[in-house]
Amino acid sequence: MKILVVEDETKTGDYLKQGLTEAGFVVDLARDGFDGMQLALSEEYALIVLDVMLPELSGWRVLQSIREAGKEMPVLFLTARDQIEDRVKGLELGADDYLVKPFAFAELLARVRTLLRRGSKVTEADRICVADLELDLRRRRVTRAGQRIDLTAKEFSLLELLLRRRGEVLPRSLIASQVWDMNFDSDTNVIEVAMRRLRAKIDDAFPVKLIRTIRGMGYVLEQPEGEP
Amino acid sequence: MILRSLTLRLTLLFALASTVVLLGLGYVIAEAIDRHFVEQDMEVLDGKMELARNALSRVHSPVELAALPALLDESLVGHHGLAVIVIGPEGKKLFESGDAMFPVSVLNLHDDRKPVEWGEGMHRFRGIAGEAATGIVDAPPAIVGVATEVEHHESFMSSFRFTLWLFVIGAALVMGLLGWVATYRALTPLRAIKQGAASVTASKLSYRLSLEAIPAELADLAQTLNDMLARLEESFRRLSDFSSDLAHELRTPISNLMTQTQVSLSKARSTDEYQDILSSNSEELERMARMVSDMLFLAKADNGLMTTSTEPVTLNDEVQSLFEFYEALADASAVTLVAQGQATVNADRLMLRRALSNLLSNALRHAEPGSAVRVMMETQEHAVRIILENTGTGIAPEHLPRLFDRFYRVDASRQRSSEGAGLGLAITHSIIRAHSGSISASSAEGITRFTVLLPLPQQV
Repeated sequence: MKILVVEDETKTGDYLKQGLTEAGFVVDLARDGFDGMQLALSEEYALIVLDVMLPELSGWRVLQSIREAGKEMPVLFLTARDQIEDRVKGLELGADDYLVKPFAFAELLARVRTLLRRGSKVTEADRICVADLELDLRRRRVTRAGQRIDLTAKEFSLLELLLRRRGEVLPRSLIASQVWDMNFDSDTNVIEVAMRRLRAKIDDAFPVKLIRTIRGMGYVLEQPEGEP
Repeated sequence: MILRSLTLRLTLLFALASTVVLLGLGYVIAEAIDRHFVEQDMEVLDGKMELARNALSRVHSPVELAALPALLDESLVGHHGLAVIVIGPEGKKLFESGDAMFPVSVLNLHDDRKPVEWGEGMHRFRGIAGEAATGIVDAPPAIVGVATEVEHHESFMSSFRFTLWLFVIGAALVMGLLGWVATYRALTPLRAIKQGAASVTASKLSYRLSLEAIPAELADLAQTLNDMLARLEESFRRLSDFSSDLAHELRTPISNLMTQTQVSLSKARSTDEYQDILSSNSEELERMARMVSDMLFLAKADNGLMTTSTEPVTLNDEVQSLFEFYEALADASAVTLVAQGQATVNADRLMLRRALSNLLSNALRHAEPGSAVRVMMETQEHAVRIILENTGTGIAPEHLPRLFDRFYRVDASRQRSSEGAGLGLAITHSIIRAHSGSISASSAEGITRFTVLLPLPQQV
């Protein structure tokens, strides 16, 4: 999938390109608003990551031109100022999501994936499986290697989130927001303790560990490489 | 043109006012003198008219009529400036003295109560004319005209007017000068205020205008200026505190990051080691990013830029959500979470949740294993009271007043451990304040208690 990154800050642009490329996307990088608009209008992109403070042509103008040209791809904008007016303006102009700098790369990646998923209608499965772990969404039951595991409601939600987004590194802030509706920087210790308890139930008794901690980034649930 | 100078304006106003008043007064006096002159003249003229009538009434024959001039001449001796004319019944001029040229219109007036003035140049007369019956039977009445010169009155009046004008001009000048002096003196306190204001700089914001030397009319202004200075000083202090706090708090993590990165670059290391260092750096950086965003939140709140969108919030629901969030952490240290009572407040849900979350997190951190953290909610007459209570080591009294300060940590040695940046309670404080509420802390016998008061929505 092709993503356009419009970012004038050299280092940020380079790292965004590298990070997104390594996450499996094809990335074009534009260094100013004018190039960004040209690329956005001439090429087909699945998503645009747009910095609003740009030389030549502001991000707002770029966004406006894209929408006026009838292009409907999701746009995630980056802003350095955490002002409500900025956010409202962006969303009014047709952006789909925003991040305030500085942001965690894992957070950006998670948002990008969410936006890309939004378009494609996923058929609601009743069951999600990874390796020998099975989540029955309808009956809200979890089994691993055929063994029934008892989880609290929140533990179930946490596991469901990890399974739905398996293979993605989920930052703690995203987990707090999605599972507990804590939409602010809260005590991240809480997530660690909750994760520890979930792992005790899911992983501890089994030789193959599914949940991994990515230091400095967050958590990921995936089938370890080399396993069937 | 608008006069910008207050002194000039007041000076002109003083001069103008004195001129108007004095001119008015002068006019009244001149009128009175003039009237007095007329009365004086009338007295003389009436007398002479009476004399002429008397003489005429005693004339009984044309012969006697012919002798009249001699009679009149005699009785008018010594009356300088007086003119008399008598016109007989046949229209013949019987007698004329003085050099007054009686106009015909005056003689035909027949009204001896109405003085008329005439003449030209230096010779001006005031006179009356009337009919006078003679003693001759069946003869029509004669006409008598009496006039007196009024030049001396005129010259008196003109010299009076000249003096008056001189006086008015002089008075206007003096009043203007006095006005200027008075205004200048009255404005002295303003110049003092100006000088004071000019001496205020960023480093000297503590200056206040002294209210004693300032007149009552300006005291209000001075007080307002002082209040403004106080507000500016407070905001400025906050701003510089904010900058220095931020610089101070960022110095340690930045120095850690720098040292760690430079040491690890000093020689080649294994991939695992690099990964370890980068992860540690990332954690540190995330902490810094969080601190900066918290600081910005506080700065916004301090400057009244925080926008709250209030809605009715059922406190119990919020507390239950928070309990679910902190459940795992509480379980880990065998602390039980207890909620008592119920209440509904008008608040910004997200902010209130954040405020309570910080309090709960703080309570859990200091709770003794095996104890309980209680949240008690109660609706009072004017406010909703929320009490958060935990049992633990307690907080020494000297720390209580500073508990809500930014970066304040009770235990200095625990600077950078699980306690975070030390902004949690400050943020809670700001949020409660943005909701017009209050928060206080108390600690006794190992029980630490935070009391939040939120105003009830106004009943309409």
